[in-house]
Amino acid sequence: MAQILLIEPDRVLAETYYRLFVGDGHSVVVCAGAQAAIMAADQIKPDVVVMELQLIEHSGIEFLYEFRSYMDWRAVPIILQTQVQPGEFSANWELLRSELGVSQFLYKPHTTLHQLQRAVREALPQPAGLETS
Amino acid sequence: MSYNEGTTFFYMARLQSASPMLSQHLLLTVAEELKLPLSQIARQAELGQLNGGVDLLTIQSTADTALRLLDNYALGVRLSLEPQQFDVEPVSVSSVLYDTGQQLQSLAKIYGVSLELSIAGKYGPVMAHRQGLQAALVSLGAALIEALPALGGAPQLRLQLATHRSRYGIVAGLYAETDKLTNQALQHGRKLQTHSRQPLMNFTHTSGAGIFVADAILRAMQLNLRASRHHRLYGLGTVLQPTNQLQLV
Repeated sequence: MAQILLIEPDRVLAETYYRLFVGDGHSVVVCAGAQAAIMAADQIKPDVVVMELQLIEHSGIEFLYEFRSYMDWRAVPIILQTQVQPGEFSANWELLRSELGVSQFLYKPHTTLHQLQRAVREALPQPAGLETS
Repeated sequence: MSYNEGTTFFYMARLQSASPMLSQHLLLTVAEELKLPLSQIARQAELGQLNGGVDLLTIQSTADTALRLLDNYALGVRLSLEPQQFDVEPVSVSSVLYDTGQQLQSLAKIYGVSLELSIAGKYGPVMAHRQGLQAALVSLGAALIEALPALGGAPQLRLQLATHRSRYGIVAGLYAETDKLTNQALQHGRKLQTHSRQPLMNFTHTSGAGIFVADAILRAMQLNLRASRHHRLYGLGTVLQPTNQLQLV
């Protein structure tokens, strides 16, 4: 199962997502802010990052630039799950996708746990020898 | 223009002139803020369906917090529109802080924040609109409780509801172990409120509606929200004027 780095500033939501992912058999490290997330990433070597953009002090975008500046983390899939409405990002989506390697954008208020589970499943590399249809 | 339209226009114009903060921007801020508790409730209910156990106490507390934010916003609007309906009276600050703590207790528990009351000292009553003052402090407290876990720093999260005397009057406020709660950050946030979805980025990840609602309520009562210190803690609060006449009785 995967190592998930969850960057979620709200404690109640973080606890909910944590229980979801742990229930799916993943190992999860929760960080409330960008600085702590960089340090955590260095220790746990995440397979996937699930993150909010609205963080305290350093924004999620700042985290993304910092995170992607390290060679080891350039291929790690990133799922944005945020309170920011998708319409506000339509102009910057290409930048997020191509330059910062964001694999999925989820609007948090409209994203069910089931959709989040599916997004994580799709973002993770398929085990060798497993064919997907 | 019909009577109703005229009346609405009159009230809107008065609302804008009485307190520019109580505008569509504040309403937008509140709407943005409400996404958080509603998301929490929806996702917890969903997790309960998946795993078979629902944390009803957390859901209840989250819903209560959202309802209080709406009530406090509505009170701020009413205070601004009809200030003559809300008389000031001699109020015990200690009693208001105690009741504020009671209202915030369940929210603090689910966010892992320890609430402390620091009301030592005899300051006598102040002149205030009790409901408005308490609504402002509850609104402010809820916003700080939600923000504290994400601020990091101290291992033990605590929020102190405190009062003390300053050279300007009696200060009532909420204090924490973070140096992010400054006048500069607050003023910066007020300026950014109309342009940013996260105007108080230095101390909250939300739209900061609780803080702006408190700000609006206090303004409607001719008071100010400002940064202050209490012992070694940093916080936000307001300065109230003691009723010297009653102290003599």
